Amino acid sequence: MTWKLIGVEFVVSVWTIVTLGADILNLPRRNRLWLLALAGLSLAAIVLALQPPESLGESFQDMFVVDGFGRYFKGLFLVIAAVVIVMTREFEDRLSAPLGAFYMLLFTALLGMLIVASVNDLLLLFVGLELITFSLYIMTAYLKTDPRSVEAGMKYLIIGSIASGFLIYGVALLYGFSGSTHFPSLHKAIVSGVIPLSAQAGFFFVLAGLGFKIAAVPFHLWVPDVYEGAPTPVVAFLSVGSKMAGIIALVRILYGVFLPLHGLWMDTLAILSAATMLYGNLAAIVQTNIKRLLGYSSIGHAGYLLMALSSGSSLGVSAVGYYLLAYLVSNLTVFLVIVAASKTIGGDHLEAYNGLSKRSPALAGALFLGLLSLAGVPPLAGFSGKLLILLAGAQAGQLWLVTIGALNVALSLYYYLMIVKRMYLGTPINPSVIRVHPVTHTTLILLVLGIFVLGIFQNPFLQQIQSAIENQQWTRPQFPNAEPP
Amino acid sequence: MLTLTHYLIVSAALFAMGIAGILIRRNILMILLAIELMFNAANLAFIAYARAWADLGGQIAVFFVITVAAAEVTVGLAIAILLSRQLNTLNADEVSRLKG
Repeated sequence: MTWKLIGVEFVVSVWTIVTLGADILNLPRRNRLWLLALAGLSLAAIVLALQPPESLGESFQDMFVVDGFGRYFKGLFLVIAAVVIVMTREFEDRLSAPLGAFYMLLFTALLGMLIVASVNDLLLLFVGLELITFSLYIMTAYLKTDPRSVEAGMKYLIIGSIASGFLIYGVALLYGFSGSTHFPSLHKAIVSGVIPLSAQAGFFFVLAGLGFKIAAVPFHLWVPDVYEGAPTPVVAFLSVGSKMAGIIALVRILYGVFLPLHGLWMDTLAILSAATMLYGNLAAIVQTNIKRLLGYSSIGHAGYLLMALSSGSSLGVSAVGYYLLAYLVSNLTVFLVIVAASKTIGGDHLEAYNGLSKRSPALAGALFLGLLSLAGVPPLAGFSGKLLILLAGAQAGQLWLVTIGALNVALSLYYYLMIVKRMYLGTPINPSVIRVHPVTHTTLILLVLGIFVLGIFQNPFLQQIQSAIENQQWTRPQFPNAEPP
Repeated sequence: MLTLTHYLIVSAALFAMGIAGILIRRNILMILLAIELMFNAANLAFIAYARAWADLGGQIAVFFVITVAAAEVTVGLAIAILLSRQLNTLNADEVSRLKG
């Protein structure tokens, strides 16, 4: 076992204790805790950057694998956590309960995400995913005196636990089939023999458990309520971080283990993708709460990611990597604006956003760009992501799915532009100016810059993603041809 | 003579009972209990398969699942207490402030 390989996870797990201890000892003042949390993240980022690219390998009896693919997503997870800490700083006067414990939960969830990025074993995958969701259950219910937050936490917990039950039962069935929960052994068993019905059922149970994490359609019931009730920084964290963790797990399982069975899961994922996109974007149109609307929009984005996954090609995986990066900058921009504005404009109701451009041109501009990027308007980040996904779908010959995907761009543009219309043409109820803290302002500028850079210069990022995908330890590096087998 | 199939049938029955319990019961404590049944169905399957493969990995997996299930019920009960304080009910049908 080499300690070098788990350096990032080590720093993050130490920081769970540091933030909790800081809270108990009351060492930095409450409004300085975010600096301590950011310091931990910077340390983890330095350790990640210092890991030489050749220091790849497995650890913990091969359960934990460090490869280019995992390192790419670990970097993204650290960025997400940093932005969420900036949001929490903005939100902290509305969190009545101890703040250090909140940061501790943020770090445990981050630890789970980092583990999932490196997972090479179904059991470790289960433990990593549970680490993420348990932290998020508590964070969702963190506004203890707000019944909506507690209700959201309860709904999230019940539906999440059902999904975990499916996942672990599926893992048990797959274990019975191959005699091991280890990805390479599982792969070997699949290649070498007939797949019994129980193992197929196990595979689909695991898919169902992961479908909950990414908010795909039959498992999406928790999404709108949790998005509406939970504290906004938590919503941002789970909408980007938790979805990304689920997608990474899906890529590792579908492409690393079950690629020989592509015919078995391709159509299932394609149908789920179409249903997810249509449901998310159609239901978003009638929403009146911006967080609830973004919940439905995040269901829609899960549909696009499923479309790329169903292609079964390396282009599909690159598209997923790029789309997640674009989704990260766009969605975090939108949520940062919501956090920064919600205190002054009073609530998350869409009417509160009337005339935002007159009260704060900077926030309105950032929200405008974030929403357009989510919708997929060129030359912004979301456009390149959607284009790559549609290309991957077309390459796999799923033209019907690509048509539905293109239709959904128009659908989503409609409800995003409705918010933009309110911001620029509506008359504000209260014309007072919204003050934005310099830290929030700087983060917003960086994120908006990211939206533009990702939209205009795709190539450097795409090459980075492709080399990360080639630099992985999947049991079968070659992808089959795009034709469905 | 009990074979692997017998254990798996019991395990599948437990899992189905867990799902049925979640769908039928309206008390949140009962729903949490039904979720435990789902986890324990997986445990039974793990143990049975571990015996069939003569492999300790499955038995070790059970310890992880038990730990996770204990953590899940701890968080669940904590949130249930908050819920009963805020809304004075543990009936899942009455917990519906969030709609749209």
